[in-house]
Amino acid sequence: MLQMKKNFLATVCGVVITVLFLAGCKNSGQNNEKALQPTTPKVDSNNATLLKINNQIFSIPSPIQTALLIKKSGYAYNKQILNPSDNYSKYDTKFKKALNLGLYGADLGYISLYDQTQDALLYLASIEKLATDIGVSDMFNAGLVKRFQQNMGKQDSLLSMVSEAFTRSDAYFKDNKQNDISSLVLVGGWVESLYFAVQASTNPQANQKDVIRRIAEQKISLQNLVKMLQPYNNRPEYAQLIKDLTSLSDIFEHVEFVYNYVPPTVDVKNKITNINSTSDVKFETDGVLKMISDKIVAIRNQIAG
Amino acid sequence: MKNRITLLALFCGLMFSCISASAQCDSIATTCAKRNLDPSFISDGQQYRALLVNADETAEFHVTFYGGTVYRLAACSGMTDGNLIFTIYDSQRNILFTNGQYQNAPFWDFAVKSTVDCIIDAQLNPTTNAGSGCAVILIGFKQQ
Repeated sequence: MLQMKKNFLATVCGVVITVLFLAGCKNSGQNNEKALQPTTPKVDSNNATLLKINNQIFSIPSPIQTALLIKKSGYAYNKQILNPSDNYSKYDTKFKKALNLGLYGADLGYISLYDQTQDALLYLASIEKLATDIGVSDMFNAGLVKRFQQNMGKQDSLLSMVSEAFTRSDAYFKDNKQNDISSLVLVGGWVESLYFAVQASTNPQANQKDVIRRIAEQKISLQNLVKMLQPYNNRPEYAQLIKDLTSLSDIFEHVEFVYNYVPPTVDVKNKITNINSTSDVKFETDGVLKMISDKIVAIRNQIAG
Repeated sequence: MKNRITLLALFCGLMFSCISASAQCDSIATTCAKRNLDPSFISDGQQYRALLVNADETAEFHVTFYGGTVYRLAACSGMTDGNLIFTIYDSQRNILFTNGQYQNAPFWDFAVKSTVDCIIDAQLNPTTNAGSGCAVILIGFKQQ
């Protein structure tokens, strides 16, 4: 009888462990936004069942895209807007290291666009140190530095190398259930690129109109960032960051995004679709841009220390 | 004793399948990038992955496409082409594109005139996927 009870208990424990394990397995490699998502199925326009339980994934635009726009707008290279490369030694927690890995990644993208060889090597060295500390040294090792040196002057190659290294890090974090760290790197890159845009928006030498528009277009990306971080809101460092970003998001509520659907056109032969829809952004008052700029500068300086 | 061995074997089997699912995602992403993400496109720095239990389940990817940019979307599941069906919707749920109309093409380019916020739904192809699979979406960009 006692043996039967033991066997029964062992079986129940086994089933419970198995169920818990399967749940963990299913979540691996995905953003864990369970707390945020509706659990009721939603029907889309095709009447196909769309289960929005744990399969929402948020994309954050590459910081290189905004750096490209800034350069295209006629803004000259300005080292002063970068996070100093020797700041890396100040970052003493994994939280700060991950955020600043994102900051430095955006800085390196910006530097590469302007072919600043010496600065690029300095920032690569800082990135390598932070990456080693948070477990992704393989992606930013001496091999990358060497390839970087060999390709100096080839802007597209350099940007591809930076992006590839960050893509591999992102994959590593997701493989190892470190979506929290992956999110921080993305937040750091996003904050730094918006900081560049804010600096450019006040500089009369640049085409400010496009840059200001790019700032306004961050409304949805910011909402996505907050959703990505929300599962970690129970940790004090994350809670403060979420609070700051939410406060910024509140200011963005005074930015109107006007969208007009226009049917797309398809070039089947070249496998390309032209997305013809138009959009525009409007600030409710003149003071909104200044409020966004001030808040972004404060958040960025808080991260950079 | 027999029960314990059975449970241990079951647990090890599940652990192996979970690890192999992650490794499978890795292999798919690497192969997908090599085959479908032309070097002229710069990766956006992220790998979007979702483990789908069956062909009825949908993974939802929230993406902002900036105006004045050409994007390439590569969509893979498994090691052969055509296993993932993806549909791009705008914020008003208008369909902007679906590869289902083009033999489940594993990649497609998008020239974006003006910035749009989109949702990409991805599903396993029911005719080639009997069970679960890893859905991988990769995004590259270049200036127009």
